Amino acid sequence: MIDVALEQVSKCYRIRRPLEDRLQDFWAVRDLSFEVGRGETLGLIGHNGAGKSTIFKLLSQITTPTTGEIRLAGRVAALIEVGSGFHPELTGRENVYLSGAILGMRRKEIEAKFERIVEFSGVGAFIDNPVKWYSSGMYVRLGFAVAAHLEPDILLVDEVLAVGDAAFQAQCLERLNELRRGGTTMIFISHDLLTIEKLCDRVGLMDRGRLIASGAPHDVISEYQHLTASSQVAAMANATAMAPFAAAKVEMVTFHDVQGKDVLSANTGEPLIARVHYAVQSLVQDAVVELFYYSRDGRVLHCQQSTAVGGGDLTLLPGPGAIEFTMPGLGLQPGTYTIGATIRQRSGADTIDWFYGRTALYVEPGRNVRGYFYTPHNWRLVGEYAQRGDHTHQA
Amino acid sequence: MAARAQLIVIRPADAAWANIGAHLRRLSEYGDLLRTLSVHRINVRYRQTVLGVGWAVLQPLLMMTIFAIVFSRLAGMPSEGAPYALFAYAALLPWTFLATAVTSATGSLVSNSDLITKVYFPREILPGTYVVAALFDFAIGLLALGALMAWYEVPVRPAVLYLVPVMMLLAAWALAVSLLMSAAQVRWRDVGVAMPVFMQVWMFVSPVIYPLGVVPDAWRPLYLLNPMAGIVNSFRDVLLRGTPPAAGPLAFALIVTLCALPAAYLFFKSVDATMADIV
Repeated sequence: MIDVALEQVSKCYRIRRPLEDRLQDFWAVRDLSFEVGRGETLGLIGHNGAGKSTIFKLLSQITTPTTGEIRLAGRVAALIEVGSGFHPELTGRENVYLSGAILGMRRKEIEAKFERIVEFSGVGAFIDNPVKWYSSGMYVRLGFAVAAHLEPDILLVDEVLAVGDAAFQAQCLERLNELRRGGTTMIFISHDLLTIEKLCDRVGLMDRGRLIASGAPHDVISEYQHLTASSQVAAMANATAMAPFAAAKVEMVTFHDVQGKDVLSANTGEPLIARVHYAVQSLVQDAVVELFYYSRDGRVLHCQQSTAVGGGDLTLLPGPGAIEFTMPGLGLQPGTYTIGATIRQRSGADTIDWFYGRTALYVEPGRNVRGYFYTPHNWRLVGEYAQRGDHTHQA
Repeated sequence: MAARAQLIVIRPADAAWANIGAHLRRLSEYGDLLRTLSVHRINVRYRQTVLGVGWAVLQPLLMMTIFAIVFSRLAGMPSEGAPYALFAYAALLPWTFLATAVTSATGSLVSNSDLITKVYFPREILPGTYVVAALFDFAIGLLALGALMAWYEVPVRPAVLYLVPVMMLLAAWALAVSLLMSAAQVRWRDVGVAMPVFMQVWMFVSPVIYPLGVVPDAWRPLYLLNPMAGIVNSFRDVLLRGTPPAAGPLAFALIVTLCALPAAYLFFKSVDATMADIV
């Protein structure tokens, strides 16, 4: 049973180029065909501008395709940026009815779900106050609560989980899971790869208006990360200025698994080896080699590895060489990390060479833990129960 | 799982007459939204005002007073035997309805662009709700009319029942203009800018401040192409004279409206298809 079918769908926007002041065609989606079965959850991923949002608009009928045909078997609803149609002068109660009607619910349906919506939102007694007095958190939660109680045959979800605090996000995810178990067909658009992997049965990868891959979530997400890798490495290589002649130079940074095989991506909690390759022109005494793991945009330093924190002195001899950092369990959480490396002298203030941004590390889900990072750990049962080997209490 | 009746097929925009049936079927599923949004418009319009709904009465009453002073006292405008104030009010009531509906509906799509780009619903509902909200004001204004007629001791005759079909015609005409103007406003923002002067000119070419009788016969057919001529004239016939409305002018209004409404709707739907891209 197919609930959603796209056949050769294209969407063309006419864009005015500001400098030349003339119209130009822009194909946001090109000859796209795919199907989603009943009860299936499809995730769509891709870079900004890949056409995900356009597909969302086409499926929710906000706009019509330029060519092609879309068939939807059943009632469609979109879980969108919340608070749509809220009017600040109206009370929370009035806004629930208003927003519900705009999202396609009938009055009776809203009446029947009203208590549950209010409970979900946690707005409580404030429901009869005008929403203009609400805190932004309350506003968002009430808006989402209405949207989350739609019960369509086909549900479209677009990046809504970026709202509220962690507890509310967990509540939202639980609601989506509930709908999914109830047999709702879902199309999920997100940049949050972890959530996509958790929720979706199948993932499609979009690039420049086309679907370039589709399949099991893990495989397609890996492909996406590698695609990001190659384009990013290329872009950054161009951006990095040539370093002047120096005593030593970082050539590249590579990552390897325990067998020594080259890898582009690693898994949280699994062993990983990083190698900093360098070329030395003239002897460097008392050297320090360091490796940095930055956030993708380079703004946050997540982790540093250094030859200065342990072991003996390091002297770099002329010629090529490499330093290897071994991690028994990678601590970084899934995501993309921009890699930096330096060679400097322990005593000297100046850095001899600074390597940045030409390599990225893609971390995929491995040992799933919550929080900012993973620490390798063991566990055992301790205390008197463990020693006795039984579970009875003794007075 | 229950069987699903609905199969939605989305194809490129196609402004064909044959699609009107499908559009209307879609629209009929959104009756609740039309009702909820219309009530909301009425609710919001007078919230945080001191006079509240009183404005619905005050607006045409103030106009009436000014007209009575300027056109009757100073300019000596004829009023076909009726007290000029009542003569003016009988016309201002339908005129204010049209002006309120069209002026507020014209901006309805552009001012609700955040909704249009995020949620799907038949967009004709947006201008539609402003027409419904204006109907509410009209009903309040009707109460003031009753009071005025009692004051001038003009009897209410059974012919007043003709107001029901005439009002339906007026609502249909207001809807046609609202659909046309709001959709045009999405493409050309000039429409909104030109609106005040356009409405003023329109009032002067409708028999609001003067009787239909002063229009020369040679100009009549052209003059009557404006449905407001036949409609306003019908209000006066029914309320002031207590006779059925004159058939000729009303027939013009009916024919023009019957042609304009489907055409305006079709134009609206053709803009609707890509509205979210340009609004």
